[in-house]
Amino acid sequence: MESILELKNISKTFSKSNFTLENLSFSLPYGSILGFVGENGAGKTTTIGCILNTIRKDSGTVKLFGQEMQDDDTALREKIGVVYDGDNFPGFWTAKQLSQVMSGFYSQWDHALFQKYLQAFGLPETQKIKQFSRGMTMKLAIAAALSHHPQLLILDEATSGLDPIMRDEMLDVFLDFVQEENHSILLSSHITSDLEKVADHIAFIHDGRLILTASKDDLIYRYAVLRCKESQFQMLDPSDVIAFRKRDFQIDVLVSDGKTAEKKYKDIVTDHVSIDEIMLLLVKGESL
Amino acid sequence: MKGLLKNNFYATLPGAKTLILVMVLVGAFIAAVISQSLLIAYIVLGIIGFSEIALGIAKDEFSCKWGKYKLTLPVKRADIIKSQFLNQLLWMAVGIVFAIIVTALSWLLHGSLFDTPLDTVTTFVMGISMSLFAGALFFPLFYCFGEERGNVLIGLSLVCSFGFDCAIVTVFNYYAKPGPQKSLLGIIILMAASLLAFGLSYPLTVRIFKRREY
Repeated sequence: MESILELKNISKTFSKSNFTLENLSFSLPYGSILGFVGENGAGKTTTIGCILNTIRKDSGTVKLFGQEMQDDDTALREKIGVVYDGDNFPGFWTAKQLSQVMSGFYSQWDHALFQKYLQAFGLPETQKIKQFSRGMTMKLAIAAALSHHPQLLILDEATSGLDPIMRDEMLDVFLDFVQEENHSILLSSHITSDLEKVADHIAFIHDGRLILTASKDDLIYRYAVLRCKESQFQMLDPSDVIAFRKRDFQIDVLVSDGKTAEKKYKDIVTDHVSIDEIMLLLVKGESL
Repeated sequence: MKGLLKNNFYATLPGAKTLILVMVLVGAFIAAVISQSLLIAYIVLGIIGFSEIALGIAKDEFSCKWGKYKLTLPVKRADIIKSQFLNQLLWMAVGIVFAIIVTALSWLLHGSLFDTPLDTVTTFVMGISMSLFAGALFFPLFYCFGEERGNVLIGLSLVCSFGFDCAIVTVFNYYAKPGPQKSLLGIIILMAASLLAFGLSYPLTVRIFKRREY
């Protein structure tokens, strides 16, 4: 399947903080949403920085629309919409001024579409952005990111400050966006419930390393967690164990094929696993 | 570039509005009274004041994520820097216009407060050259040492620009032979030095900014 975004062996080291992004590789197919999950400080924003060239990678390649983006490739950036967590725009602007500024940047800026989003999201046009609530600023950023008809949305914790109702509204907007088959979204978040609702693929990052990439359906329907006693855990085939975590009276074991595991280990309780639990097992658990 | 210029204009406007109000009120007073020293201060500080406000926007853009967000827009990093240099020139020009209007008003009401027309030009050149030196210093230092030092760097660049002007005038007066062309030559040297610094600062700032990570 052709990819709108492809990362190959991306590495980046920050000598001051001792943080390293290690050989990160994943791709985002056209017409899909990739959930990029990891705890705070795992390397999600650094990865997005490498994609968007706000951070210089040490090695590896990032291909957007099949080509590596350089500083001069402004035409490529016309096709990308970005939303960062927090205040994306100066507080002394109004939404109207933002639209005027953006129309100077994007050749395809659609003022009518922007107005439509402002109305749909209940955002005032002439109020200063600094008087907006956090949820309103995030909605404004999403409206701005969508109003130049991008093909790729890169959202860095774009739903993190929103209440569940607002988040649900935004997720519907994202689902609408990917109805067009040449549109895709890279959605970085640590709110796994959002990703369960909208993502097609999920990539887990931890401590600068990609620890798992899979389709959401596989994670939800194929992956499973075995609730073992210590004695049962000792009997497990190590090749079946992706990660395990010792609890008070049981050991939770993440396996990639729940049905096979259920047949193989008949006396062990096999549960469906949520993305939240997968993340916890991968991040806090151990491997054999 | 159009988007960048609009962005810079909207970013500078809130600060400039306040300064414009102050310039109008103070300018009316200075035009009304007969004081050469006040007029000199108005010309020099007016030109520098507008330039400083324009410098401040680079700093303000990093008080939110806009400075980083801009890098994801369809613009080149070199164009971002170019627009900031142009913005400084634009607002310096606004300062010059105010200074010209008040000088002309003063001249209409009281006659020239300067001994010769060249003295008037020298005063304007002092303001312009200090603004140019301040910009030439501020932009590379800002992108080199980071946005958190923005306020300090604005002050530092202003002090240094004053120092540069004083140093050039002192050295010139020491070496230049007395004569009718001395003042004119001094003005030319001051303008040329500040323009050269401003011109050289641009590629240096671009070079630094291209290496910066956000």
